[in-house]
Amino acid sequence: MTTTDTTLPAPVIGWLEAFAGELDDCHEQAAPGGTVSSPAGWTIASAQRLPAGTPVPGTSGTLAAVRDAPPAGDPAARVFSDALVRLHWRLLRDVLDGAVSRLDGRTSEGAPLLGRQLVRGTVADVALALSETRDLLDLPRPTAGRRRRIHRDLVAAGRTALVLYGASSFAAEGPGRLLYAAELLGNTYLHTGEPEEGAGRE
Amino acid sequence: MSEPPLPRRTEVLRSHVRDAAAQLRDPGMEIDRDPTAIDRWLHLPAADLMRLSTIPVEYLDAPLRIDGHTYDMRSCLEHTVTIEELSYGDAGFMLACPGPLMSGVAVDALGDDKQRHAYYERLSRPEATWTFFGLTEPAKGSAATELETALTPDGDGFRLSGAKRYVGNAAFARLGVVFCRRAPGPLGIEAVLVDTRDPGFRAELIPTVGMRGARISAITLDGVRIEREQVLGYDTLRPSRRGLVGAIRTLQRFRPVLAGTALGLTRAVLDHVRRERPALTGTARGRLEDLRDRLEATRRQNYDIASAIDAGKVRSDRIAGVKTRAAELAERATLAAADLLGPASLLEDPWLGKLYRDARAFEFMEGTGHIQRLAVFQGVAKHTFLA
Repeated sequence: MTTTDTTLPAPVIGWLEAFAGELDDCHEQAAPGGTVSSPAGWTIASAQRLPAGTPVPGTSGTLAAVRDAPPAGDPAARVFSDALVRLHWRLLRDVLDGAVSRLDGRTSEGAPLLGRQLVRGTVADVALALSETRDLLDLPRPTAGRRRRIHRDLVAAGRTALVLYGASSFAAEGPGRLLYAAELLGNTYLHTGEPEEGAGRE
Repeated sequence: MSEPPLPRRTEVLRSHVRDAAAQLRDPGMEIDRDPTAIDRWLHLPAADLMRLSTIPVEYLDAPLRIDGHTYDMRSCLEHTVTIEELSYGDAGFMLACPGPLMSGVAVDALGDDKQRHAYYERLSRPEATWTFFGLTEPAKGSAATELETALTPDGDGFRLSGAKRYVGNAAFARLGVVFCRRAPGPLGIEAVLVDTRDPGFRAELIPTVGMRGARISAITLDGVRIEREQVLGYDTLRPSRRGLVGAIRTLQRFRPVLAGTALGLTRAVLDHVRRERPALTGTARGRLEDLRDRLEATRRQNYDIASAIDAGKVRSDRIAGVKTRAAELAERATLAAADLLGPASLLEDPWLGKLYRDARAFEFMEGTGHIQRLAVFQGVAKHTFLA
């Protein structure tokens, strides 16, 4: 028995393909008909958009990567990076909504898990991070540094949100795989080359 | 970073295991791609260490002997140190190995002499035998008091029906411990030894984001026949001392070991950053030093707790606290490493990419962070946690 990604249940492949399609939309917004490469020369897109790419680990072959492309010009990179952070935001919003729905349907000692104060506090923490990052995204004159900080906040909030799913967040059929893909994309496209003062929950 | 002090015999063990762990990175990467690849690496000394860990010396033809010391890792401290060092090599490899792991602790906690003898006699044979510890359920997680897997009378024995989820190695195991309900209430919980070849037992691998060596599995139990002698402690313990007590004892004994797994991975990723970026300066250097300080402090705390368990002093609040700290530190260290190693490091550095995915497993293994926080709160309320 193996756990190659081809053993994933069909719905998971569907979610990943939808995510890959949304990533392609980011490319389309920035470079119609083409792709945008990262400052370090990496390009990540759906396997359909990058047929010559190698599969990105942990994405079941739905995402592919190629190296040594010339870095994108400034306008395209900016448009793509903005779209990418907003895609991460939407993904986290879906993950939070899914967690609330799931916890409302699970009970412990006869009561919904969503009634637990610790659980409610965790939900609120993620919602607060979503609210703040949405406002940050809407600020005028976005910069690479700001996008990277927003990505860092979304990664931290995503890790908090995954706690709400327990072990199921770690299963390939859970939301952890999608958020991992978003984290990897940010590490590839939004890292400015200098270490930050803070990362994740540090 | 200085090494936390250990008793002399434990230091000797640490040095021995450290040598064995040095060979695990490549096999660990292979197991990440294909969890069955452990079968090709069972000849490694690390696999032998895992296979025999916690099996009492009297069952072993050739127990581990180093510099005049004999080890069976039944000491929580020695087990913790062993697991931490092997996890520095590769946590996934360590978890993929055959051996007693958690099921052995449960058999020790609940089994009678005959049950323990049969279990260890089986595990001490030369062939590789994987085991599992089946507690978590799809609907109730690891809330042991609420589990629903049913043990129903059937003639002079029982039938076992239900489902378990997120159980390490179950799809490859020959035997394991399943916690189940014989009657309502916390005293109605039992632990039974299950032979996975018995009709009605089915287990399959659950694909995961990381830590694929843990070979996390889902179990379906469809009327598996259970004889009375398979119910741990059935003839020797009162119902109030069976089932649930074994689950709690096993988790408490094993949490420092799990913390050791997280701390081994944390040390591995921080050493990796230091090797790859030896000239870090300023804020970046400060971040790395901060993480290394936290690692050393948590290792010392974990060793203290494991030593206390060996001395018969089980402090559930502190056990919960160190498990939580270790799990969170592993995540923080891998997040920081991805940042410190620069753009696209998760793509360009497959070892980092693997540790980054693996580190998230510790949050829910052996009880989630929320569950541990409740135990810490109890310790604060009783004035024991910070005493």
